Amino acid sequence: MASAQAVAAPGVLARVRRNAWLYRRCLGAHLRSTLEYEADFWIMSVSAVIAQGVGIVFLWAIFGSIPEINGWTFWDVAMIYALVVLSEGLSVLFAQGAWSMAFTVNLGGFDALLLRPFSPVLQVLSSEIGMNGLGNVALGGALLGVSVAHVDVAWTPATIALFVVLVVSAALVKVGLNTATNAAAFWIKTPWSMFAFSMHTFGELARFPITIYGIGVRLALSVVLPYAFMSYFPAQAVLSTGTAHWLGFLTPLVAVWCLVLGALVFRRGMLRYESAGN
Amino acid sequence: MSAAALLEAAPSGRLPFAGRTRARRSMARTAFRSLVAHQVSFLFGLLATAFAVLSMLYLWRAVLANGPLHGFDWPHMRAYLLVTFVAGSLVSSYVDYRMAGRILQGDVAMDLVRPVGYQDARFAEALGFGVYELGTGLLVAAVAALAFGGVPGPAPGELGAFVVSALLVMPLRFGIVYMSGLVVFWTQNYIGVQAGRIALVTLCSGALVPIAFFPGWAQDVLTYLPFAGMASTPALVYVGHLAGAEAWRAVAVQAFWVVGLWLLGRALWGAASRQLTVHGG
Repeated sequence: MASAQAVAAPGVLARVRRNAWLYRRCLGAHLRSTLEYEADFWIMSVSAVIAQGVGIVFLWAIFGSIPEINGWTFWDVAMIYALVVLSEGLSVLFAQGAWSMAFTVNLGGFDALLLRPFSPVLQVLSSEIGMNGLGNVALGGALLGVSVAHVDVAWTPATIALFVVLVVSAALVKVGLNTATNAAAFWIKTPWSMFAFSMHTFGELARFPITIYGIGVRLALSVVLPYAFMSYFPAQAVLSTGTAHWLGFLTPLVAVWCLVLGALVFRRGMLRYESAGN
Repeated sequence: MSAAALLEAAPSGRLPFAGRTRARRSMARTAFRSLVAHQVSFLFGLLATAFAVLSMLYLWRAVLANGPLHGFDWPHMRAYLLVTFVAGSLVSSYVDYRMAGRILQGDVAMDLVRPVGYQDARFAEALGFGVYELGTGLLVAAVAALAFGGVPGPAPGELGAFVVSALLVMPLRFGIVYMSGLVVFWTQNYIGVQAGRIALVTLCSGALVPIAFFPGWAQDVLTYLPFAGMASTPALVYVGHLAGAEAWRAVAVQAFWVVGLWLLGRALWGAASRQLTVHGG
């Protein structure tokens, strides 16, 4: 324990660096163990591409019959859709562990995490690596690339830099919300993440321009659980459409808020954790 | 122990008919109870499906805002989507998920020594899960219909065809789900197989977008594949796009595939169970 304290004592920067290093090491270990099952890797990647590809065929079939929905053309909607797929893929690759919470917490596995000198929430997040993430990232990235080439935006180094920041922030929004919703495991005593899954399904509403929804749904997607900052708002900022496209520039701030929210809910939950009993 | 040896070790033959029926009924009941026992998960599962329906209805409302497309106006599209939703909620993922789990864990060895055919037993379970799936599906559809201003009733002349078509949905979906569950005998991974299967069936059955929105060649192909009967056919009969002889022809395609997929499933089981190696015991 003395050595763990000695490591933790130096300043914030050293702590961040140590956490980042441990996070990478944990993910790396899981990546190696996952890659032992090569067939799994391919099945998961291919199925992710099929699952998301179906969504694109769906949009294409609809736009084959009408030029635009609520003023959004096919490539605008494709961009929003691609951002969701990409954020989803990145969160699955780098923070899939959130979805293991229900299982770990309610079957007693969480005890082991509390004994290690590494932040529990980071341990949980880095405890799994989702191989379907790669398929999602590949397809989402490709679709994003193609749609970016088709939309009417003047690309300068500044807009490109902004776009990259927005895409990363969008993924972090998803990671934060996944952490917050999955932390419900501390309150709901089942080994399945049904609550988080239902919220994830709600988040899927952000695959389409949120102007198609009623005001209540729109508010919920922008304020209560701001899934729309994964896709709709960043896309709006880049496309400069809509009356309030500046809202999209807030995406990095919303990402920070979601991550803090995730950490806070996790902390509250951890305080009431009393092991699974033996 | 190989599957063949297990089969030979099994108690002689199968139960008499009455016993088989009773066994099936109790398997269906157990399957049903295993779902409703977990109420919190049940409610959130319901919420998740409700969100999925919500997003589809909102999207189609926006798509049809400027008038009907391919013969669908907004009220009839609502009816179409809700019928495909209820059809799609049948044999959704419990049967195959459980099958895959038991095959991967080796518990399938226990299923092999039971005096009820493997496929029969899974079908009985699917019926049990189906009661739950139908109940929740109808509930969510009814609430959604109310929230979006109701749906027109079924096309009056086609009630008979609709009922027969709706009844065929469950065995038809079982056929494809059962076979995709058996795939784990080869792949050892099920989550991926299941996700891919769900996506393809959803698209090809017309549950996301009516088949009429696809290009002509795709429509011709999809009409004769088994998928259309899993959602599109009953929904099209309901809204009256398939009528008279045409409706009954589509129902015949459904019936053909029910039998076809059952036989294919049986053949696949024969090949799959020879793949099985159960370690330890």
